[in-house]
Amino acid sequence: MSEAQRSVAEFIRRFSDAYILQDGPFLTPLIAVSSCPPSPALFSVANSLSPNQDWGRFLKPFDAQLGEIVNHHLRAIQFFYSGRYADAYSAFEKSANVFLQEFRNWETAWALQPLYTIAYEIRVLAEKADQELASHGKNPEKLKGAGSFLMKVFGALATKGPKRVGALHVTCQLFKIYFKLGTVHLCRSVIRSIETARIFDFEEFPLRDKVTYMYYTGRLEVYNENFLAADQKLTYALTHCNPKRTSNIRMIVKYLVPVKLSLGILPKESLLERCNLPEYLNAVQALKRGDIRLLRRALSEHEDRFLKSGVYLVIEKLELQVYQRMMKKIYMLQKLKDPAKAHQVKMEVVVKASRWLEMDMDIDEVECIMAILIYKNLMKGYFAHKSKVVVLSKQDPFPKLNGKPVGD
Amino acid sequence: MDLESNSVEKQQTEGGGQEHHPSMYPSAMPGHQPGILAARPATVEWNYPRANASSLENGIPSISGYHDDQRTKDPAAFQDGKSALSSTGASTTHDYSAYINNQNPADPYSHAYQSQYYNYQHSTTDSSHQQVGIVQDTGATYQPLSSFQNASSYPQTNYSSTYYNPGDYQTTAGYQPQAAGYQSSDYTQQTNAWNNGNYASHQYSAYSVPDANAAQYSSSPAVDATHYQQQYGQWPGYYNQTAPDVMCAPGTEHMARSSVSGGSSLPDLNQGYPAKSNQPPPPGTTSWRQDPPASSSPYFQGKDVAGFSQTNDWQNRPLVFGNTPRAQAPPHFQQTLGSPTFVSVDEQRKTGYAKSPKMPFTPPGQVRPNFRPALNPLPTLEGLRGSKFQIPTNPRIATNLAFSVSKTDKESAEKDASIAPAYINVSVPSSTGEGTSHDSSQSLAKGAFPPSLRAYVERSFARCKDDAQRLSNQNILKEIITKATADGTLFTQDWDTEPLFTLPATSADNVSKGPQISFSLLSLNKLKRSPSRRAKSRWEPVVEEKPPVLTTNLNPVASDSTILNRFTPKTAEAKFAMPPSSTFRSPRKQAKKTRFSDPYPVQNGGVSSDSDKDQELTKLLSGAISMVDSPEERRKREHRSKRFEKSQEGKAGGHKNKAFRAGGGRNKKSKIPFTAKFDDAPRLAVEDMDWDSFTVRGTCQEIEKRYLRLTSAPDPSTVRPEGVLEKALALVQSTPKNYLYKCDQLKSIRQDLTVQRIRNEFTVKVYETHARLALEAGDLPEFNQCQSQLKTLYGEGINGCHFEFAAYNLLCVIRHSSTNRELVASMARLTPVAKRDEAVKHALQVRAAVTAGNYVLFFRLYKKAPNLSPCLMDLYVEKMRFEAIKCMSKSYRPTVPVSFVSQILGFSDGEDCADWLRAHGAAITAHADGNLLVDSKATAAGLYMPEPDDAVPHGDSNLAVDDFFTAKF
Repeated sequence: MSEAQRSVAEFIRRFSDAYILQDGPFLTPLIAVSSCPPSPALFSVANSLSPNQDWGRFLKPFDAQLGEIVNHHLRAIQFFYSGRYADAYSAFEKSANVFLQEFRNWETAWALQPLYTIAYEIRVLAEKADQELASHGKNPEKLKGAGSFLMKVFGALATKGPKRVGALHVTCQLFKIYFKLGTVHLCRSVIRSIETARIFDFEEFPLRDKVTYMYYTGRLEVYNENFLAADQKLTYALTHCNPKRTSNIRMIVKYLVPVKLSLGILPKESLLERCNLPEYLNAVQALKRGDIRLLRRALSEHEDRFLKSGVYLVIEKLELQVYQRMMKKIYMLQKLKDPAKAHQVKMEVVVKASRWLEMDMDIDEVECIMAILIYKNLMKGYFAHKSKVVVLSKQDPFPKLNGKPVGD
Repeated sequence: MDLESNSVEKQQTEGGGQEHHPSMYPSAMPGHQPGILAARPATVEWNYPRANASSLENGIPSISGYHDDQRTKDPAAFQDGKSALSSTGASTTHDYSAYINNQNPADPYSHAYQSQYYNYQHSTTDSSHQQVGIVQDTGATYQPLSSFQNASSYPQTNYSSTYYNPGDYQTTAGYQPQAAGYQSSDYTQQTNAWNNGNYASHQYSAYSVPDANAAQYSSSPAVDATHYQQQYGQWPGYYNQTAPDVMCAPGTEHMARSSVSGGSSLPDLNQGYPAKSNQPPPPGTTSWRQDPPASSSPYFQGKDVAGFSQTNDWQNRPLVFGNTPRAQAPPHFQQTLGSPTFVSVDEQRKTGYAKSPKMPFTPPGQVRPNFRPALNPLPTLEGLRGSKFQIPTNPRIATNLAFSVSKTDKESAEKDASIAPAYINVSVPSSTGEGTSHDSSQSLAKGAFPPSLRAYVERSFARCKDDAQRLSNQNILKEIITKATADGTLFTQDWDTEPLFTLPATSADNVSKGPQISFSLLSLNKLKRSPSRRAKSRWEPVVEEKPPVLTTNLNPVASDSTILNRFTPKTAEAKFAMPPSSTFRSPRKQAKKTRFSDPYPVQNGGVSSDSDKDQELTKLLSGAISMVDSPEERRKREHRSKRFEKSQEGKAGGHKNKAFRAGGGRNKKSKIPFTAKFDDAPRLAVEDMDWDSFTVRGTCQEIEKRYLRLTSAPDPSTVRPEGVLEKALALVQSTPKNYLYKCDQLKSIRQDLTVQRIRNEFTVKVYETHARLALEAGDLPEFNQCQSQLKTLYGEGINGCHFEFAAYNLLCVIRHSSTNRELVASMARLTPVAKRDEAVKHALQVRAAVTAGNYVLFFRLYKKAPNLSPCLMDLYVEKMRFEAIKCMSKSYRPTVPVSFVSQILGFSDGEDCADWLRAHGAAITAHADGNLLVDSKATAAGLYMPEPDDAVPHGDSNLAVDDFFTAKF
């Protein structure tokens, strides 16, 4: 028996031992094909596998299912380490399918850990496979396939037994796939079953999954411009997130900041700096100063980034708040000058101010913005068309949002 | 089938039938109900499902409406003044119940009849079950056929489908009633529609049309012409048709039925449909199988796959008509035991229906008496008779017309028809007279042409490319037929395998020798559109549901023989005499068999050459038997039938008139590969096919072509090559005709491009042109189709007006995206270069204005919108204005001058604006100086969004009925 054969046999022995003894923690590293660095056993077998190697005889002692799992798994490892990701994915999916089949039959949840790993691996492999396929001009569809496989996994976990706590983990993996594929509408069905199915108790799930889940659902709410819900979910994610995971915190804050901004809550600069989110600095500044030009600049400067993360429209909507701030400034300046007439703001003044900000607006447009400000409750008062004057309420002419979205 | 029967009725009643009515109908009608019922069983049953489906789709419980239509029609048919029938659902329900009751009786006859007629109702006995099953099957299979039977109507249906395929159209509630009517009887519908307007003039056309349908394949110019006329004239008809087509899908029918049964208030429907669903697998399939096989299989054999669809139709016909044949057949047989051959039976029917005095036994009155005794004295039976008569006659007549009349001069035929009862007219000179007089098969043959022959004629006509060819074709055909008639081989000849003679100047290449689906074009056809064929079946994956049909196919020989034996063995026609084996099963079976007997001859014989025409019946028989029995043939048939069943579902789009023009060519290219595939791998699904091998190179030189959704392999002879398409595009761009026409033409251009896999800048140009036209016309669905195609085309690097359409896309997304994700995504897709484009910039600004609610900006942008952007911006105008006035009324105090509002919100003048404001609940006061002012405080409380004036139930004002009626191509 050659060295290579020995290491293959050794890998198979470890795998089968862990499998038969139902030792999840031991089995997990053997499954993590793409883990970096790989576990020693995986590494050694990966180096020993040669294309023509036949390990069938090592599998003979085992039952058909295990044999199949190991067989495809070894193929997947082999393909993966030879850079053939699409093939690796296919082999891994076969192995995973058999494993899932067996998983359904186990009453205990011992294999949750390995299953998590499988869910993770299949997603990572699919992403790599799609990259490979796309570079060859083929249709990248593996990630979609991984999505449907994970739906099957979800189905296997959505039961009454102890396995149900794993459902949220798989859900999060699904979210990742759907967000990546841009098919977030598919999230809805999973969310619905998580939130409504009686077998699930949200508090029962592992915290890390809850955080991930809240993060993704919070993002979905941002898309829907449902800022209150987004705020609640993202805040949950932020407060429960492992404080050491700065990258995770950054991801959460990235969405939480615009949400909070649109609710009239400004972050400290230090937070943005700590989380390395400089793209929001200008927007925050613009809000503070009532500087519409600055906001526009921030938008165009970071347009790609905002579009990619999906917060572009959220930031853009801050415009009204900026205008509100500008009006407030004008109002306060007038108050300094002549408190008696401060509540009457002439349009000429506003046009002048906007021109000073290099915003090319004529009086009609300014009027329109005034009307919208009043309409959206960002400014109390009325507009006298005849005299082209905004008459502000003497009491709290610029109500604060205080955590309420604009327009409510 | 349904259609036919209905149409027949109508025809009878309306057209020539009035005279006859008194005699026929009264006698037939113990109550008028029977008549109605008779009509319905075939028609109604089918129709209902469709109708229901349609109604369901529309979301409108229009079933009642539908019923009304049918009823009205039926009553109309019965014009006798039997208003009782016409009353309403109650009457119908009664009818049904009566039928049901009848079913119970032990009489074989009654059973048979009942089952067939009321198949969908409950069948207690095995025999009935079988029959029922059969019927159902037929129903399933033939639903599409019904449309086909409409044959004449087919083209229409096709058109309609094409036009309305977009889906929106089909669903439009407004059209349901019509659709319902249509469903009930395609013809009738047409006729009805016509009736509304021009009763008299249309009658003929309608009449002829039904004939054509009956003739099925007969491509008599007259018939076609009528069809066309109808088609063109009746846009509404199109709509109707479309709806039915959609409904026709077997699956849908079931759905419809179930749904109907569940929710529908109409007892009739419930009874009928549930029964249907239950019946599907007939327990006694064997017996049943035999029967159908005879009819169906022969056809199939004769005709290749290509022919298949036709054959199906044909079969369907028989089935549908089965009612009539059954009823008739038993009487006939009983009466004239020795003499009647199948042919004779048919003829008898014809004659009887035609009421030609010559026929001794055939006279309707006679038949009826016979029937009554034979059958149970059921009121239903009487009704059935009435229906029977109508139904059978039409087909026959049609056939006759198609052959004799149509070829020679349809006009004369029409005249005849007009003068005499519909049937009589149809039968016309040569064939009918002879047939009636003689019992012999030959004479009969003359009267009724075998379907295969009809198909043959159609085929031959189908390859004709111009009138000259058609003329010569006609002459040659005449010769052939006369010769065959003289030789007595008319029925024995295997027309399906008969090679087509070569046409003088035609492109003979295109003509396929195999059976063709396509109908011949009418020389008379003014529209230039060829009648449609029914297409889909071959594409459909095999369906499992059809066991009965399949079995029928398999057993054809046996069944045929049995049938033949029963009735014909003793008769002179040895052809039909098969091994006498089976006993009388049930009257209706017999009827069916007789029915099918017609197809028989066709099936027979592998005779392929012209010289073979003269072969003896015996030869044919033997040949046919061998053919039938061969396992290969069976398999083929199975597949075909399966496909067919499935096809029905998709049928809606199925038929294209255009496709038929060139007709023949398709068989070779598309059909053969398909058949081969099916043979090899019967279960081959559509997605498993190698579509690459079907990419066609068009040869059609016609610039104008109507769009019909392809349901079969494209026929190269109907597909225009790129050069012609360019001309077609130029034509569309320069034509003064309306958008409907342009849309149709562009769709056909797109289709031709697609089937030929042409993807280049011309393709982009076509789509861009269509998209722009659609925008101008406000046809958003079509625009979206083009837009999405353009997206992929641009994505492939083909040049076009990227930016313009990127801008359109943005404008669309603003409107459609329910969440911001899509909008953000499409913004993210824009390249920096694109963002510098004026149109795109404009669109982005519009987007910003819309999301910000900045109405001032929006209407400014509207005024300087490039290209066709204003058309898309129009979609927001109303909303923006309303939002604006809401905003202004809340923020402005105390008043806003209307003139200001008008200027800001882009109204043409203050008057306009004031009207709009009033319509939305604004409070307008006149100032002392005469200026109008909006009282903002009062306005803020009273604003509302009025229902749009052009609101239509189906949500698309473009589909308004009026448009259809006024639309002209």
